[in-house]
Amino acid sequence: MLNRRSLLSLGAGALALSVSSAAFAQQPTYKIGYQLPLTGNTAQYGVDFKNAAEIALDRFAKANKPFKVEIVFEDSRSDAKEGVAIARKFADDKAIVGVLGDFTSGVSMASAQVYKEAGMPQLSQTASHPDYAKISEWQFRNITTQAQEGPLNAEWMYALGYRKVAVIAEQTDWGQTVVSNFADKFKALGGQVVFSEFFNRGLADFRPILTKIGRERPDAIYTGFFYEDGAQFLKQAKQLGLATPIHSTSAAYNQQLITLAGGDSEGMKLTATFLPTNPAANVQEFVAAWKAKTGQAEPGQFPAQAYDAVNIMLAALERAHAAGNVTRKSLRDQLAATKDFPGVTGNTTFDANREPAKQLVRAQVKGGAFVAVQN
Amino acid sequence: MSVSDPGRGRSLLWTALLLIVVFAVVPALLASAGRSYLYQVANLIMIFSLLSVSMHLVTGVAGLLQLGHAAFYGVGAYCAALLATHFKLSIGITLPAAGLAAGLVAFLVALPTMRLVSIYFAVATLGIGQMLYVVMLNWVPVTKGPNGILLFGGLQFLGFDLSKPAPAYFFVATVVSVSIYVLHRLSHSYYGNALRALREDDQCADAMGIDTARLKLESFTVSGFFAGVAGALWAHTAGYISPADFNFNVSILILSMVVLGGLGSLPGAIVGAVLLIGLPELLREFKAGDYRNIIIGLVLFGAILFLPKGLIGETSALDLVRRQFGRGRSIPGHEGGVGWK
Amino acid sequence: MDYYLQQLVIGLSLGMVYALVAIGFTLIFGVLNVVNFAHGEIYTIGAFAGLLLFTSFAPPLAAVILIVLAVGALAGVGLERLAFRPFRRFTDEASLKSRAMREATLMSSLALSIVAREAIELIFGSQFQAVPFKLLLNNPIKLGPVTIVDGDLVILGTSALMLFALQYVLKHTRVGLSIRAVSNNALGARYVGIDTNRTIAWTFAVGSAMGAVAGILVGLYYGAIFPAMGFSPGIKAFVAMVMGGLSSIPGAVVCAMIIGVSEALSTIFVASVWQDLVAYAFLIVTLIFFPRGIFGGVRERV
Repeated sequence: MLNRRSLLSLGAGALALSVSSAAFAQQPTYKIGYQLPLTGNTAQYGVDFKNAAEIALDRFAKANKPFKVEIVFEDSRSDAKEGVAIARKFADDKAIVGVLGDFTSGVSMASAQVYKEAGMPQLSQTASHPDYAKISEWQFRNITTQAQEGPLNAEWMYALGYRKVAVIAEQTDWGQTVVSNFADKFKALGGQVVFSEFFNRGLADFRPILTKIGRERPDAIYTGFFYEDGAQFLKQAKQLGLATPIHSTSAAYNQQLITLAGGDSEGMKLTATFLPTNPAANVQEFVAAWKAKTGQAEPGQFPAQAYDAVNIMLAALERAHAAGNVTRKSLRDQLAATKDFPGVTGNTTFDANREPAKQLVRAQVKGGAFVAVQN
Repeated sequence: MSVSDPGRGRSLLWTALLLIVVFAVVPALLASAGRSYLYQVANLIMIFSLLSVSMHLVTGVAGLLQLGHAAFYGVGAYCAALLATHFKLSIGITLPAAGLAAGLVAFLVALPTMRLVSIYFAVATLGIGQMLYVVMLNWVPVTKGPNGILLFGGLQFLGFDLSKPAPAYFFVATVVSVSIYVLHRLSHSYYGNALRALREDDQCADAMGIDTARLKLESFTVSGFFAGVAGALWAHTAGYISPADFNFNVSILILSMVVLGGLGSLPGAIVGAVLLIGLPELLREFKAGDYRNIIIGLVLFGAILFLPKGLIGETSALDLVRRQFGRGRSIPGHEGGVGWK
Repeated sequence: MDYYLQQLVIGLSLGMVYALVAIGFTLIFGVLNVVNFAHGEIYTIGAFAGLLLFTSFAPPLAAVILIVLAVGALAGVGLERLAFRPFRRFTDEASLKSRAMREATLMSSLALSIVAREAIELIFGSQFQAVPFKLLLNNPIKLGPVTIVDGDLVILGTSALMLFALQYVLKHTRVGLSIRAVSNNALGARYVGIDTNRTIAWTFAVGSAMGAVAGILVGLYYGAIFPAMGFSPGIKAFVAMVMGGLSSIPGAVVCAMIIGVSEALSTIFVASVWQDLVAYAFLIVTLIFFPRGIFGGVRERV
């Protein structure tokens, strides 16, 4: 565009048009598919991902790269039926060289079966099922698994002197890993898990469980929830006068948690890979772009992961393009070669199992904001 | 039925025509489009056709409102998936096993609830559906709970690899066609008529010597069996199942198919499945985006409003069946009303 | 002991939430004998309408409740016009008896509920709405060994008020009498000169107004207002109504309490993920022993 405008200003109208279209023809456009829930009960997460992806794409378009990228968004409604159909659709489209998504592990994994067969690299920003990346060499994810986060939290809580801990997480594949990874490490350290249960997502009333936890008199509670369930949990804990310290995972990291739970969220501790208060230039750029685009408060953990996932995909695409060969296979190989990618959720390197290793920081809700803490 | 019956020949013609469409016309179109996506949509439509036709036997023909059909679909899917992962069995064995397991579960839950009538029965099936769903979600040692079950190895049958879209299509089409044929024979037989008598007035049917409790039990079990078969098809073609595939919303989706097509009409149940699976995907093609589900709701509403007897009402459907497959006898005066009076 | 008492109290307050929704639901079912799948969406509309009022005008709670009542009544009448009345254009006996017609009505309310939920989601997004903290009905009150919240009292008061007002309306006013007549025998009511369409519209207005108020109260009680919020209470209300025997509103309230208490108490013995299993098992067992619900024995088979 810039080229074209400057040439036009030279006054050589007709000539300029032909030159610019020639330049345009030299600039290939690659398509990336993004399957995510844009309607239904989990739409709020999908909409966040879409916003984050558009910010990343916008930034990429402004950077004057030698090629263009288009992202095709498809709404899966967090429904496996629709996810598989989308996967087939993406696999059919020869122009699509890579896929991002889905949101839930269930839909990601059902779709992964198609991508495995079709030979399409798939990078999910949130699929946390332990077996997801094991499906085939085509699956990648940009989320720290609980195998990393659980033990870290166990050590942190043990170091704080807690010996009797209650563990509660949502009844999803992710929640299962929250409990098992934490409990294994905490017991190995010599602590005691006095209560371990799950709840169904979207549970309205946590009071029966909270009362049950209260009876065990734990030193602290370790929780695996997303921000909406989290807000309910925290509010009702305060209601029942439960003063036990509460710890959580990076999944709860969202400004909305504080908006919904208010003062009741005060003091909750968690681990995170992304802090909008991080002064690093790329983080601040993302936070500013997010606020400008959505008109909301700071982005949470999940949009940040989506932003990085898109950027990792774009970086791999760029390397494949530079090598002069952009195919699904070459893009997969380039994704696998991702090393120390400087994202807003820290540096990302895919290991041999296509799992990322990330740096986690400790944070706490203080004065209505998440702040980094030492312990 | 004598050999010289002209209805017989026409019946064969119709059957042949349908088979040609399913096994030649549709695959030819799919192959020429060259998109595995369309195969996927076609498979889904067929699986849901089987689900809606199996529910049609209970809800449409026998008149028992069913709000938990997805659970039997789930039992079949889990049975097939567990057999396939633990014992490395192929679909030749898991498919009938899934049907039997779902049929058995349906039989067991039907035993105590068959005495119930109308809405009491409906809410009992809702409760049972929810209970089975809770079990699938939380019985972690067996069902792996929310982790779901991953099937490796694709679709294998008698040593052939049917994982590619076209062979999978033919396999699903064969199983679904045979199953629907069986259900068709059941619902358009004296047995089906007994079920209809049950639907219209169970006390009267009872008085006429029809064993209503047994009839309900049998139709419920058969319906569960075929829902289980559909579950096995989904498990093997998708390669990954989790409890979310079998929740209450799926039961409601299947019920919508049966009612939209025309309660009591087997072709209607298939049309309903084609519409409610096809339309969302069609709207995706037209980039309807966020308005997709509103449009589906409006279409459902409009169809019900203007055609409350369904797109293919039972009387017209039965009439068609009788003319083409039966003795060519129409029901006098069916144009005006709906029921059987 | 305190622990069991606390769980019991939580169960009762859970049950009260279900009861609040079940009252309107049962009233509407009674008059048409058709499940109104859109009742949950009326509940959601009530919650969103109330929240919008609060955030834009900040009126007192009583005023909001009155306006929400009106919004609910309007929505109910609109729902009846759109989803139910068109199916009464077939008045021949065959249609009246036809199951296809009855199931069609059920499906039309379901279709409208999909449209309503998706529309709310498009406008507001599917996330939880931020509820101003000072409005929340969750300030703890210590009662000896147990803790309740002020919302429990508000919901208890509202349920009792609704129940008694409804009993009064049904027993002592013309509208109430005609509602009872239509629900008992629609054809007979027509023969004695009752305007059934009007009566049915009134029933929807009253039942939906109650549903809408339930929505805003429970929304403030939990601080959770989102497009899909009506789904789970709607199902529980449906179950409570059937357990109670379809036609009995006090029966539905009692059964709603039974469901709530069984959910909370089951947490004592099993993991909380199984609480739905316990609640539904209760339903099945009840239906096995009382095939027409606990309080529905007097009615002929419908």
